[in-house]
Amino acid sequence: MSDVMTPAGSAFEATPARRFTPKPARPAPASTLGLRGWIRQNMFSSAPNALVTLLGLWLVYVFVSAIVSWTLVNAVWEAASRRECLDQVGRGGACWPGVVAWIPNLIYGLYPKDQVWRINLAALVLVAWAIPLWLPRVRSKLAIGLSLVLLFPFFASYMFLGGEKGPVWSALIALGLAAFFWVMATSAAEIATGRSFGRLVVVALGAAGRSDAYRRRLHVAALLVLYVAALAVTASLSLSFVQTRLWGGLFLTVVISGFGIAFSLPAGIVLALGRRSRMPLISLLSTTFIELFRSVPLITILFMFNTMLPLFLPAGVEVNQLVRAIVAVCLFASAYMAEIIRGGLQAIPRGQYEAASAMGLGFWQATGLVIMPQALKIMIPNIVGNFIGLFKDTTLVSIVGLFDLLSMARAVGEDTRWLGLFLEPFFFITMIYFVVCFSMSQYSLNLENRLSAGQRR
Amino acid sequence: MALMDSTATPGAPARYAAFFNNATVRSVFYQVLTLACVVGLIGYLVANTIENMSQRGMSAGFDFLGVSAGFGIGFALVPYQEGDSYWRVFVVGIANTMLVAVVGIVLATLLGLVVGLARLSSNWVISNVARWYIEILRNTPLLLQIIAWYFGVFTLLPRPRDSLGWFGGFFLNNRGLYMPAPVPGDGFALTLLAVAAGLVGAVLFARRAQAIREATGRIVPTAAPVLGLALGLPLAVFFVTGAPLGWDNPQLRGFNFVGGLNIPPSFCALIIALSIYTSCFIAEIVRAGVQSVSHGQTEAARALGVPPGRTMRSIILPQALRVIIPPLISQYLNLTKNSSLAIAIGFPDLVSVWMHTSLNQSGRAIPIVAMTMGFYCLVSLAVSLLMNQYNRRILIKER
Repeated sequence: MSDVMTPAGSAFEATPARRFTPKPARPAPASTLGLRGWIRQNMFSSAPNALVTLLGLWLVYVFVSAIVSWTLVNAVWEAASRRECLDQVGRGGACWPGVVAWIPNLIYGLYPKDQVWRINLAALVLVAWAIPLWLPRVRSKLAIGLSLVLLFPFFASYMFLGGEKGPVWSALIALGLAAFFWVMATSAAEIATGRSFGRLVVVALGAAGRSDAYRRRLHVAALLVLYVAALAVTASLSLSFVQTRLWGGLFLTVVISGFGIAFSLPAGIVLALGRRSRMPLISLLSTTFIELFRSVPLITILFMFNTMLPLFLPAGVEVNQLVRAIVAVCLFASAYMAEIIRGGLQAIPRGQYEAASAMGLGFWQATGLVIMPQALKIMIPNIVGNFIGLFKDTTLVSIVGLFDLLSMARAVGEDTRWLGLFLEPFFFITMIYFVVCFSMSQYSLNLENRLSAGQRR
Repeated sequence: MALMDSTATPGAPARYAAFFNNATVRSVFYQVLTLACVVGLIGYLVANTIENMSQRGMSAGFDFLGVSAGFGIGFALVPYQEGDSYWRVFVVGIANTMLVAVVGIVLATLLGLVVGLARLSSNWVISNVARWYIEILRNTPLLLQIIAWYFGVFTLLPRPRDSLGWFGGFFLNNRGLYMPAPVPGDGFALTLLAVAAGLVGAVLFARRAQAIREATGRIVPTAAPVLGLALGLPLAVFFVTGAPLGWDNPQLRGFNFVGGLNIPPSFCALIIALSIYTSCFIAEIVRAGVQSVSHGQTEAARALGVPPGRTMRSIILPQALRVIIPPLISQYLNLTKNSSLAIAIGFPDLVSVWMHTSLNQSGRAIPIVAMTMGFYCLVSLAVSLLMNQYNRRILIKER
């Protein structure tokens, strides 16, 4: 390197006056700098562009000022009836007292006021159960997530429904409760000590040095203790029966979409595996189910189950409206989920299957340990998108006579005190739907970026 | 182990194990098991259904299709009277659903294209207006939007007497939109013929021009001849035959309008809500499609001296369309399925007149549910067949 450089270097030394000295960079033109420059470049780069910008700004101004003046500036906050609102501002401002008076109904439907704590408690349990999924120090996330999807519904169903519980039903409720105890214990243990609940029990009892079988037995015993405790709690709980007819509002919307989500994930996995199966009959059956449910509108499925489910079941078995709607939503959601999961499975290169086979893994081991974990990661954005769709689609149950959030909002205008109040409750529930769906979609976008970090360069 | 197995005579248990571990045997076993479960389930449901139906005195036959339905339908694209048969009701429902789908698809595509391009604009204000339009509308339920448009806008319009009017022929009130109805006179058929001839001629000319360009590289200007054939020819024939087209303007008589074309408020609300909602998804598809074409393509085209308009038409768009068309078609299918929400505002589409009113009137749950689902399945099957054909045609030819 230096050999090559020497002649050139010496030439420069011979004529130092001709040495190349770059001029300092000139500052960028003032018109491209700072806020003014940004505005100029992004909003007024040419005459037509400036015109379009002004038009856009005008549109935004008209829209935003109309909304602000209706919802805030001209709105009435205190009145006893819609008549009083109309006397104060006419139709130029929103009449919020009607919505405020109806907020309990918009959220809980006609659920008895003195029993609403049951819904709140179940919601709190749900949040507490889900939080460890986002805590970095918690390692048993798979078990926590699975128990949430599979076992929380038993506990929640009893909290919402109440009434008599037979031995089987009690055992299932206790299973849900025990799972909750375990989730709390193991996440607390993992956050505090970095060890799972089972290991902590083993260490605490001074059995760390004993044989594997002994420690496993100890672990099972600890879980049994939790289950017995849960059984005791369940037995002591006696909640009054609340008919599903009284369920409504945001609560019902969340229950229906929650059931749809919890059911559609496992069912979708089974259907997707079935459709990709090499067994022709299983593939045919899965494909038929998926395509049938995907090609018809949800409302026709709701109507079908509404009219046909009573016919399908043995005479004398009563199925209430809510169960019919939940069955319809679950089957509909699993068909869509199956296609999303199939898409994820297709994105996994063949080499992964072949490598798993070469390692001696069977079908279920290869799928569960190698393929699914990779596929699920790719699918998360689409799964969240499906959840958003499901949450929005639950509004359709109002057509078959359930009192979801949308029906409750329309019921406000039928209250004699607030007769004809329509836009205000609609604006309110639109905000609820928007906040929930928008934050989910932003979260999924964020997740997508984080998960694809490995692929970016 | 394997060596021993192959040389020694296997005992009975080992032979059974080999038999049950055989992939073919297992696959047949699982399939027979699944089939037995499915057949058993279906048999159980069918047995229950037959028993329930005989108990309630219901029948599953299609014989009711010829019976008079005996209810009126507020809006029918194909002629319908109250005494017409159930079969006619089914046809009316399909026609109305298809009308909503076609009009909705055209409007949603136009709107989606505009919003999608606005979203891509380098103008910060415009791209953000488009962004929030999309975010707000696609994150709220469609049913809520349909109901809001119907009860929040169209039923709150003034009475016919105080209608909003434009150009003396268009009136908007709480009974819907009234507009002039065309009344074809003698010889109007010639104009229609000219439209058909002009369109065929335009397509042939464009194809010929493309063939010449591909063969020789010479660019044949097509814009003027195609416009002349498709628009000029029919207009010329129309005026030569003495403009044989009258307009029947709606007139206010007493409390309502008479004459003209009336579009019910439920149709207006449904179309507006459907096309606005779907346009958000189409806009995102358009944006993704245009962004999927690498910027190098634009740069290469400019380096070769291709003018910007032609770059868009001949280089960017054909490549973007390959990404855009499949999800676009599935949005069209979604719009068609979503049109079934018409039932919430009483527009008589297939689900509303057939699966709701007719089912409640006749009680023939099974044939009616089967026919409705069959129609939607048929539509989506036909569309997916077309899609597969299209996908095969546009697949990138790799050499």
